[in-house]
Amino acid sequence: MEFFYLKVFRYDPTKNAEPYYKTYKLPVEKGMTLLAALFKAKEEQDPSISFRYNCRAAICGSCAVKINGHANLACKVQITHLLEKYNTDTIIVEPAGNIRVLKDLVYDMDWVVDKLKRIKPWFIPKEPPPADGKEYRQDPFDHQKIDYASDCILCNSCMSDCNALKVNKDFLGPMVISKAYRFIADSRDGAKRERLEEVLKDFNLEWCVRCMECTTRCPKEVQPYENIIRTRIIAAEEGFKSPGEIHAEIFENDIYNRGLLNEMLLPMRQEGLLGAAKRAPFGLRMFFKGKVNIADFFGGHKVKRHEEVQKIMDKAREMKDKVKIKIIPDVHTVYEDKRKSKKKEVQS
Amino acid sequence: MKYAFYTGCSAKGVAPELYDSTKLVAEKLGMELIELEAATCCGAGAVQEKDEFLSLVINARNLALAEELGLDMLTICNTCTLMLREAKFKLDHDPEVRAAVNEVLKESGLEYKGTIEVTHFLWEVIDAVGLDKIKEMVVRPLKEFKIAPFYGCHIIRPPYLTGYEDPDNPTSIERLIEALGGTPVDHDARLACCGFHSFWSAEDKVTLRLTAMDTQAAKKEKADFMVTPCPLCHTQLDAMQPEAEEKIGVNIGMPVLHLPQLIGLAIGLKPKELGLHKHVISTKAIIEKVA
Repeated sequence: MEFFYLKVFRYDPTKNAEPYYKTYKLPVEKGMTLLAALFKAKEEQDPSISFRYNCRAAICGSCAVKINGHANLACKVQITHLLEKYNTDTIIVEPAGNIRVLKDLVYDMDWVVDKLKRIKPWFIPKEPPPADGKEYRQDPFDHQKIDYASDCILCNSCMSDCNALKVNKDFLGPMVISKAYRFIADSRDGAKRERLEEVLKDFNLEWCVRCMECTTRCPKEVQPYENIIRTRIIAAEEGFKSPGEIHAEIFENDIYNRGLLNEMLLPMRQEGLLGAAKRAPFGLRMFFKGKVNIADFFGGHKVKRHEEVQKIMDKAREMKDKVKIKIIPDVHTVYEDKRKSKKKEVQS
Repeated sequence: MKYAFYTGCSAKGVAPELYDSTKLVAEKLGMELIELEAATCCGAGAVQEKDEFLSLVINARNLALAEELGLDMLTICNTCTLMLREAKFKLDHDPEVRAAVNEVLKESGLEYKGTIEVTHFLWEVIDAVGLDKIKEMVVRPLKEFKIAPFYGCHIIRPPYLTGYEDPDNPTSIERLIEALGGTPVDHDARLACCGFHSFWSAEDKVTLRLTAMDTQAAKKEKADFMVTPCPLCHTQLDAMQPEAEEKIGVNIGMPVLHLPQLIGLAIGLKPKELGLHKHVISTKAIIEKVA
């Protein structure tokens, strides 16, 4: 391919009420990043295009945009890769999602900064500095808990594609909760409970829908989603009660008592009798569609070899505190799929 | 094609039509399913966010049950797929945790060895059965239908655990729809989230808003119905659609099919056998058309 089309979101509230798209024809050059393409369009065709950038090396986090619908740093992706990935001759560039656009690809980060302030994204020491005058220290196991979370460059990619933020701007968002986790999980930090209380206001921490967009988008492998879950684990350990915590308890009990989740009795246990009454229209609907197993109201059936499950769960709870689970083997490790069926097909 | 069949809770609970249609379609496609009747719930992300070690133990046991049979584990739920793969990933890469988990499993005479794979029905239909064979088996092409794929999060994200296809531009369901003679519809919610997993914490604030947005996106593109490989997405988009409609005050009425039901219709199984009458949003228009 000799040329490609860069379709850029354009918006200038001082001139037009509505945004529009403008397309620029550019040569395909090996190694050209999307940011370089934006520069080429601006310098040679249209000086009015606005976009943010600084380091050009995926460090500063200024140039996050939506590329064919998915957030990433403009300086981190190459044109040839994008054209191949989407099997297209057109790359659509839009500002990050879930945020107020100021002009073209430039958006208002104040909104995110205000959220960040709520969780106090700075170190609040638990103790005075060590008497030997050296810095605060922690052991390697404690450090690995916050190592990846500390790599966040606040680029907004995760916030852009967050499904919960898409429908409710009051959600703190993955970047903010992940940043809170970085301090909540820090063995040297003294404001753990205060920060947990903040992220748990109105159970905000549990508005996350586990869609994993944030972790998929993050250009620095910070794993915001995993950090949200790790924060929930810490909140449970610290004794905070929440709908999510009750939900987890119901699952644990059902696995212990019968193996599979008893969906029929879930609403009553989750929200009490009154809450369950609210679900009556839903329940009746499910009943008339043949989706309700009456036996489950009386406990239902158990999985086979169920006694094994109780034995191992008892033992697991007994051993829990002795086991140190590292947060991840290595951030670049990926699941290696060894499916037999897949292999068979490749061989044949 | 023989698999250790992990049903998950939904197929044994609120989505019996998924269980039935999977069994019927698998048999027709020549996939032998040995049901893991001793398997438990995968924790669904709920146990995982309270007691990580316990969730690893439970899923190491589930995986060990498939290892006993020496068969890859076939799942029919996106979240089960991801939870089992996540557990496997951690057990395979952290020898200390694996040793601790095996110490627990010893109580019941089991051991996690890491010898089998966790796969999803969709992936096996494409890779093991193959779209060419599917095409040959089609007796009732779905040519009059515009079908909106809804992947569901946990079969495409996060890529370091799923890895089957590009999470930014997956094509498996579209390719399958085309093989069945249908027309895939591109829509804004193709890769979006149904909202299921925050239901009990943010039903009004997040979940139902997403459900409404997703089903409306399919409707906007004039899809006849949506199709999903995940029963949790299905429960959310189908059974909870009336709540979502009420929430936004708009009638949507978008039917949602399970993936095996879609295949079943095209390879000549009856809508009734596939349980299409068990859906909350009426599938009458689809049933009439295929009759």
